[in-house]
Amino acid sequence: MNEIVSVEAVTRKFPLNHDRTKNLVSALREASLRVEAGEFLAIAGPSGSGKTTLLNLIGCIDQPTTGRILIDGVDTSKLSPARMSVLRREKIGFVFQTFNLIPVFTAAENVEYPLLIQGVGSRERRERVAQALQEVGLTARANHRPDLLSGGERQRVAVARAIVHRPALVLADEPTANLDTHNATQLIDLMHGLNRRLGLTFIFSTHDARLLEHTERIVRLCDGQIQSDTQVQSNSLYAKSLNEGGIHGQVLASSLS
Amino acid sequence: MGKFLLLAFRNVFRNRRRTIMTLIMVGGGVTGLLLVGGFFARMFWGLRESTINDGLGHIQIFTAEHFNREEKHVLDTGIDNWRQVAATIQAGRHVRGIAPRIEFNGMLSNGVKSGVFMGSAVDPVAENSLGFTPRLETGRDLDSKSGGEIEALIGAGVARSMSVKPGDGLTLLAVTSDGALNGIDVQVVGVVNTGFKEMDDRYLRITLPSAQRLLQSNRVTNLVVGLDQTENTDVVAAELAPGLRGQPQQLVLKKWIDLASYYKQVRSLFSTIFVFLGVIVFFMVLMSSVNTLLMTMFERTREIGTMLAMGTPRSWIMSLFILEAIVLGVLGAVVGVTGGNLLGFLLNHAGIHLPPPPGTTVPMAFRVLYVPGLMVGSSILVIVSLALAAILPAIRASRLQISEALAHV
Repeated sequence: MNEIVSVEAVTRKFPLNHDRTKNLVSALREASLRVEAGEFLAIAGPSGSGKTTLLNLIGCIDQPTTGRILIDGVDTSKLSPARMSVLRREKIGFVFQTFNLIPVFTAAENVEYPLLIQGVGSRERRERVAQALQEVGLTARANHRPDLLSGGERQRVAVARAIVHRPALVLADEPTANLDTHNATQLIDLMHGLNRRLGLTFIFSTHDARLLEHTERIVRLCDGQIQSDTQVQSNSLYAKSLNEGGIHGQVLASSLS
Repeated sequence: MGKFLLLAFRNVFRNRRRTIMTLIMVGGGVTGLLLVGGFFARMFWGLRESTINDGLGHIQIFTAEHFNREEKHVLDTGIDNWRQVAATIQAGRHVRGIAPRIEFNGMLSNGVKSGVFMGSAVDPVAENSLGFTPRLETGRDLDSKSGGEIEALIGAGVARSMSVKPGDGLTLLAVTSDGALNGIDVQVVGVVNTGFKEMDDRYLRITLPSAQRLLQSNRVTNLVVGLDQTENTDVVAAELAPGLRGQPQQLVLKKWIDLASYYKQVRSLFSTIFVFLGVIVFFMVLMSSVNTLLMTMFERTREIGTMLAMGTPRSWIMSLFILEAIVLGVLGAVVGVTGGNLLGFLLNHAGIHLPPPPGTTVPMAFRVLYVPGLMVGSSILVIVSLALAAILPAIRASRLQISEALAHV
């Protein structure tokens, strides 16, 4: 398979005060990880274990102190900030813990935004936005602004925004942290369904152990170090249902509140 | 671009109360500039027209020599064939009339006391047809058809100094164009108050034939041209200039603005005051907007971080903030221009009068002119001011560290 992410002995240190050379604390230590295209991977660990730091580094919104990260074969340590921006725009989709939708845009306009900054034509944008909203079951809520949507709906808009430009990689940092258990499970199922149907690579972080049974691979972090990297046997009821013909996004979405 | 503009427009109204306060401030600045500028424009207009109608006219014709050298004798730099020149000019477009004049000086006496005068000789009919009427304190204006006695108008200071009143006689002495001394007796028919003491102490006006008789010359010093509208001055001047070149004497044309030094001084003074006001408004808008826009930037830190994370070019973030400021500026300008015109209309119809300006006794009506150039100029001023105010917040927004911005609470 195609290697989409390669984290090679990455360390990230942060200064504790304004003097950026002293009192450094390591948020991530010598972490190495390889992710193949089409994987559905969870990064698990307690708060402060380095999950967000690792995702930020993979997402090219932060730079490692040492080590290097390759995205789709591109060494990000050699990229200029502008090229990094282009890489994020074209290859990566983001889902954030607090949704981070643009509040003055409607759901459809939020989903349209990544296409807008890529310079996609208006007709194609309309078609792809409609398709993405359909994937997450929010066609009927396309013209609602985020403040008129529930938490679950907002996060599904965020997922639609992350996948609309068909990125090589979707990164979700604690996407279920602001959702109740039911919505959290449904969201993970939605992402997993999209991973299966569209072949998108998903990496998400969570500290909720109950959600991990929905994943295929779990990377556990503790104190900035990778403790384990486990392939989950697809023997769960959920995994079976996915493998036995899949779940259509709309049907799945209709069950979400 | 359309979506980006939409985003900017919606962002402007994200915090409505703050936006309304900003619009009031920006609009207030524009309104203030329009009212002050409109009042100044009305004042300039009034001063211009009164300067022209007090006898300056729109255009004056002289011989070139008049400006090149001092006269050896009276009228030796005057216009010789002035009737022919006047006829040529009169045929032109927009020309309402022409008034020939002689400027001269000499001595006057009441038989007991003597003094000097600065005289002008005019054609009363031509002067009246152009609306150049002297400001009479007592008596009447000159009558061109009057036979017998030579009539004269004198300044209030001369009347006081010579102890004369309308109906009394004076003797004028002047050097003729040949260099000889000549004298005529005149009858005072009116006393003029120009509003300027120095002028009133020397003022004398007689008819053109009387002066030509006194000075022994058929020449005139200059021809004053009155037009239908002041705005046509440049057009007429351009049209007249070629015709003047074909005359036996070398003639030059002076527009009213070339001769109205007092008007230019007043205009320069008030224009400086207006520019100063403009600078104050500019910095007022700039400083208060910087603060508002910085607050907006801090409030949207996480959103900006999200946009940057998704790959939005940093230049787009900068442009977005500047675009929002420009939208705010345009809206503020619309509010200001509307408010300024509305307030101007109300003030113009409120019947407000200001104290009489120096030299006049009539209170000045408060009027505000609607000046399109001023509306455009003050609008551009606040838009530019807001755009400049957005530069610092825009730079800070575009330079945010993405991971820190995403963690911003």
